[in-house]
Amino acid sequence: MENYVEFKNIRKAFVGVQALDGISFRADGGEICALLGENGAGKSTLLKILSGAHQADSGEYFINGREMKFHSPMEAIQAGVSVIYQERQLVSELSVTENVFMEDLYCNRAGIVDFKRSHEEMQRIIELFHMPFSPQTKVKKLSAAYQQMVEIMKAYRRKSQVIAFDEPTAPLTDAEIDILFGLIQRLRDSGKVILYVSHRLKELFRLTDKIIILKDGRFVEDVRTANTSEGYLVSKMVGRNVGDTFSALKRNDQMGDVVLEARNLRGNGIHNVSFQLHRGEVLGFAGLVGAGRSETMQLLFGGDKVKSGEIYIDGRLKKIRNPKDAIEEGIGLCPEDRKEQGLVLGRSIRNNLTIPILNKISRRGIIDRKRERKLSKEAVAAYRIKTPSIEKIAMELSGGNQQKIILGRWMLADLKVLILDEPTKGIDVGAKAEIYQMVCDLAREGLGVIFISSELQEVINICDKVIVMRDGTVTGCLDRKEMSEEGILSLAMQENGE
Amino acid sequence: MDNNVNAVKKDGKKKNNFKSNEMIMMVFVLVLVILIFTVLNKNYFTYANMSNILMAASTIGLLAIGETFLIIAGHVDLSCANIAAMSAVITAILINGGMSWPLAIVLVAAGSTIAGLLNSCLVNVFELQPFIATLATSNVFMGVAYLACSGKSLPVGDKGFNAIGSMRILGIPFPAVLMVVCFVIFGFILARTIFGRSVYMVGGNAEAARLAGLNPKMVSTILYVISAVLAAFAGVLMTAKMHSGQPSAGSGAEFDAITAAILGGVAFTGGTGNLAGCFIGLLIMQCFNNGLTVINVSSFWQIVAKGLLLIVALLLDFIRRKKVFRKFLEILKAKEN
Repeated sequence: MENYVEFKNIRKAFVGVQALDGISFRADGGEICALLGENGAGKSTLLKILSGAHQADSGEYFINGREMKFHSPMEAIQAGVSVIYQERQLVSELSVTENVFMEDLYCNRAGIVDFKRSHEEMQRIIELFHMPFSPQTKVKKLSAAYQQMVEIMKAYRRKSQVIAFDEPTAPLTDAEIDILFGLIQRLRDSGKVILYVSHRLKELFRLTDKIIILKDGRFVEDVRTANTSEGYLVSKMVGRNVGDTFSALKRNDQMGDVVLEARNLRGNGIHNVSFQLHRGEVLGFAGLVGAGRSETMQLLFGGDKVKSGEIYIDGRLKKIRNPKDAIEEGIGLCPEDRKEQGLVLGRSIRNNLTIPILNKISRRGIIDRKRERKLSKEAVAAYRIKTPSIEKIAMELSGGNQQKIILGRWMLADLKVLILDEPTKGIDVGAKAEIYQMVCDLAREGLGVIFISSELQEVINICDKVIVMRDGTVTGCLDRKEMSEEGILSLAMQENGE
Repeated sequence: MDNNVNAVKKDGKKKNNFKSNEMIMMVFVLVLVILIFTVLNKNYFTYANMSNILMAASTIGLLAIGETFLIIAGHVDLSCANIAAMSAVITAILINGGMSWPLAIVLVAAGSTIAGLLNSCLVNVFELQPFIATLATSNVFMGVAYLACSGKSLPVGDKGFNAIGSMRILGIPFPAVLMVVCFVIFGFILARTIFGRSVYMVGGNAEAARLAGLNPKMVSTILYVISAVLAAFAGVLMTAKMHSGQPSAGSGAEFDAITAAILGGVAFTGGTGNLAGCFIGLLIMQCFNNGLTVINVSSFWQIVAKGLLLIVALLLDFIRRKKVFRKFLEILKAKEN
């Protein structure tokens, strides 16, 4: 019987975000079917629903015509679905056999594991896959690619009919990718349904038969890989109407001197990043997740150790060893992860606002509470943080208001440079618009603003210049006039050596 | 009904009331404990017995100040009681060796900073869990205490020194006065200074605090040293009270100190609590223990009771956290609607 997976009108919402908005499509066995879309298009959410990690709010999905409703990953596995994530789900201290047969090792009647038989079975599978390791090998001794093979063998052993890959090639070298692709093609030829998520367009042309394009949680189109082009895919991934939000923004037109310059920054997976930031400029950083944008900012801000390279502020060479140094030089950072890195969630708005300026509002180490309250109230008013009181606990506010606390914190700190790392992630549309205007206002006041975002529309409509990164290096720099989603995406996705 | 409560909570002032409500609750429990034992035995609420309670509370109180700071900052120090024991013995040795007692105290306090730095080094440089690191050093310090005196208690004859333990100010034992003064000073530091604020921020979210310009490792280092120095003073008080340096003095006191902090509303998850609460928690615990003695509960049962008291304290902590969590869920739900 022919295998197939079919999705019908799948919807899934997280707090404030409609991650999947009625997705329907069908993937057949004997085909490799790619899921393509920007960050946040809903690819991973869809895989998580298929693997039982999340449950859909509404809609149905079928495997070989039977409706499925997985409540846990175990149910999905039993129904023949395996999802192979970028982070491998292996126990590195155990052998290949133990990992592959994890929940199903051969046992004798007393319940004691029959390792001889298990290893023999494993050997049979290894030979089938032409792998160079033995059943007894510990998983931690294998390379990243072979560990992935172990995952695939696990899926094979479970006789999974549906195997999904989520960005499997990200940690692999070219030679390893060849091995992986060979294997995926063999799985396809044996009639399994293969779903393949990747950002790398070149790979899709090499490997897949069909491409399903998703955007903002909606199904856009499915195309045969043989009948399409990179340009067409990119335009379909992107194409959306520019909202009125952006046209209403009052942007800054006057740029001042260079306030911050980075020369050949290295460390933390970053290679030779150089750029200049002017007063009054909004400098965008675009790239895919993992391109090294946040890592670059952590280097600038002293959050991570700089291996080599120089940072100039107002033309003078500065040594920034920790965030405190950076703040003293007038640099502020709104980190990527608001809850883990940005806020002390259990403390009040007032406490969170004044962390970097405690020295300024104190005399001989004693905090001037009147002054603290006054400044906090000013920040709450200026940034329109919706709260009845400055004593409200940060945890109790919405994502947008939490983000505004962090912005307000830096407003109080009197900065030259503000770094915003994904400031609009996971917040609602209204708050987004407010944050865009705040960014433009800060630039008009003469701050240099660095704006990292995975939403290209934001970058294009707010930034004066955008630097595109990939794999820890800068792959290009576009001016306001040159910016287009297609241009940025092709720089962000281009393969090495091109 | 529920809606009503929520409506009131939206007003910011309600928050402060909530906090002080908790404080009133604890004072109420304290009064209740004293009342019950007074009814059970007339000798409980007397000047002599209350002095005893304060006297016993003084050493544990000093340790509890250090623990409160550390727990709020997301750390803990299991070695403080044995730093106290070590200091008690070494004070006795120094004074018996002919040193003047004020100099001996200064030296012991200075020496204890090394113990604090050792704890901080294990936690901050070698990144051991505070619980494990201080459990290990605790044994080291206990061993040193026993080695220094060969396991025997060392009588101290210096009258001037022993007066520290028996002196009274306005009828209140000097050790108790010292403890209260420390609570006031450190309470002020925690509530009103930059350093105190840093302690809360680091305990609430060390990474966020770091990225906002604070130095979590420096904060915890200072706290381990404060804890060790306060422990050294506790050791000096023990020697002065007993007129001898005893290596077994104060064994297990670290847990009494932690119990007091938790009874007083300091959450083990870090970031919340205050010294006023810790002080009342300390008094509740001491009044409770002393009361059991006064009504002739066997000392073995007292140990059981102490354990139960800690469990009750932890349950209170749990319920408190649940409350915050439930509130958070409510907000999420409200947003979805």
